[in-house]
Amino acid sequence: MSQDEAPVALDIEQLSVVFDTPDGPLSAVNDFALEIRRGECVGVVGESGAGKSQSFLAVMGLLAANARVSGQARLGTEPLIGRSIAELNQFRGVKLSMIFQDPMTSLTPHMTVGEQIAESIIHHLKISADAARARALALLEQVQVTDAPRRLDQYPHELSGGMRQRVMIAIALACDPEVLIADEPTTALDVTIQAQILALLAKLKRERGMAMALITHDLGVVAGIADRVAVMYAGRVVELGTVHEVLKAPKHPYTAALLASMPRIDDTGTGPLPAIGGQPPNPRRLPPGCAFGPRCERVDETCRAARPALAGHDRRVACHHPLERP
Amino acid sequence: MTDPLLELRDLRVWFPIGDGLFRAKRNLRAVDGIDLRVAPGEALGIVGESGCGKSTLARAILRLVRTSGGQVVWLGKPIEGWSTSRVRPLRRDMQIVFQDPLASLDPRMTVGEIVAEPLRVHARDLSRAERRERVIDILARVGLPADVVNRYPHEFSGGQCQRIGIARAMVLRPKLLVCDEPVSALDVSIQAQIVNLLQDLKRDFGMTILFVSHNLAVVRRLCDRVLVLYLGKPMELASTDLLYSQPRHPYTQGLLAAVPVPDPDLQPQRLGGALGGELPSPMAPPSGCVFRTRCAHAVAACAAAAPRLQSVETGHEVACDRWREISASGAVA
Repeated sequence: MSQDEAPVALDIEQLSVVFDTPDGPLSAVNDFALEIRRGECVGVVGESGAGKSQSFLAVMGLLAANARVSGQARLGTEPLIGRSIAELNQFRGVKLSMIFQDPMTSLTPHMTVGEQIAESIIHHLKISADAARARALALLEQVQVTDAPRRLDQYPHELSGGMRQRVMIAIALACDPEVLIADEPTTALDVTIQAQILALLAKLKRERGMAMALITHDLGVVAGIADRVAVMYAGRVVELGTVHEVLKAPKHPYTAALLASMPRIDDTGTGPLPAIGGQPPNPRRLPPGCAFGPRCERVDETCRAARPALAGHDRRVACHHPLERP
Repeated sequence: MTDPLLELRDLRVWFPIGDGLFRAKRNLRAVDGIDLRVAPGEALGIVGESGCGKSTLARAILRLVRTSGGQVVWLGKPIEGWSTSRVRPLRRDMQIVFQDPLASLDPRMTVGEIVAEPLRVHARDLSRAERRERVIDILARVGLPADVVNRYPHEFSGGQCQRIGIARAMVLRPKLLVCDEPVSALDVSIQAQIVNLLQDLKRDFGMTILFVSHNLAVVRRLCDRVLVLYLGKPMELASTDLLYSQPRHPYTQGLLAAVPVPDPDLQPQRLGGALGGELPSPMAPPSGCVFRTRCAHAVAACAAAAPRLQSVETGHEVACDRWREISASGAVA
């Protein structure tokens, strides 16, 4: 794949996030490592509490005040972890942008759409208000907002959820970022609007050659636009590979079980779904060996004794008994 | 069809919306003319985008919102206009499971109290011991151990809270269980557990399920029949097999095509065929066919008259005057 030669846009190494809580430290992310190259979309998949959002909030410097971060993340050659807010603000919203799940609460209710897009353009690119407004209009058109000139002077509450998410994307794109982090960008939207937004993100990635991290719980969402997929469980990456490798021939029993448990629109079956038993583990009481062990069909003494390392180079899996290709 | 458990006749729920102090109120037609017969033991899915009226329809059936016209007929008796006290005994047979598993449980009540509450209202002749037995029975049936009765909702995960909500609804052995997006707030691995549980309960208790959901894949797995709504109006009503294998309404086709599948060989192409546009304002729905503004097959005639549900074949109705031409042209989304 041509992306192998593309330069690494975001390089995350050994990233860990621990929250200090009244009940003691809570480890949310452990040894997270991921490279995202220019023009590449990596899907980061997992259930609530798997650590997927916290990993990227750490990269953005947006974690809660009680978080401690270790490890490193580099935007090109620029280190991001441990930088001051002022230093981070040279990158955030410029080379490194993020869009969030809820487009209503992420927009400022008392500012017009045009002002919110222009704000970061004026701040970072130091251009006149008129030029910024023209650029905001062009961005709205790029993200396929209908009736864009009128929308510039509207407030967020006047827009539908899908339109608001398009505005969020326009804001994120305002300064031509190299890296876009999309955290569940379509989870709050209807499926029809979700398909439109995903098609838009795929087009923008292709045209702009951005690196993109797409955080989602939905394997169907990554199947449409991701090049590679990282599957997270209990704060760790448990499987990594190309979207074909991970979804068509999963090696980690968790990935395989997750795929099997999802009802599919093209599945005519009517019997019980092969559900994963049990619950995701409590991060305060992780089992000693493999965190997925208690819910895994292949578990044995080895799994209970030692946590499997994320082995392999490009195709990686953290399992003592990975599934083999049939 | 055997005698229906529930029948809706031209059911309407219109919400009057004030439009400024001196202007006349207008009506938001959340549910606008639904005819439906639901057989005992049937699982009927009600699907559509946000704002299509699916939750309002479910709540109107339970009389949790006031209807504006038409009739709800329960076991042959029209219950429109019945007083609250006259409806209350019927509630015993109609229960609901809500979307947000934690918010729908009272945080100050123990799980035992929560699940016993319907018994205290509707089965007042039971002794404490009998009540407790019924509660523990139903908890076991939804997969929760007896010792949860003394614990509080916040001690449980979302999936477990949803099991508690299902136990509360099932403790009276209702004839009708309305599920309003019961798995939408749950993680994928937990969704499957709850879908399986509902399937088991339906089989074992033979109850009727109205399953309101935007998740079309879950509906396919669980339901016998599906009603597709758009702006409060029925678009298509068919057995699950027919609806998913031969959708006739362009809206159903677009909706099905939008659901992502976790297959990188299929999904990128599916994205390209996404239904365009957005739901029009329900305050100003399009004339004629309400879907026409997003329909690739719309012609001038579609703006003139609203199509009524018409039969495609036994067990399959579609509200589109052009479905034959659309099917013949082979245009399937």
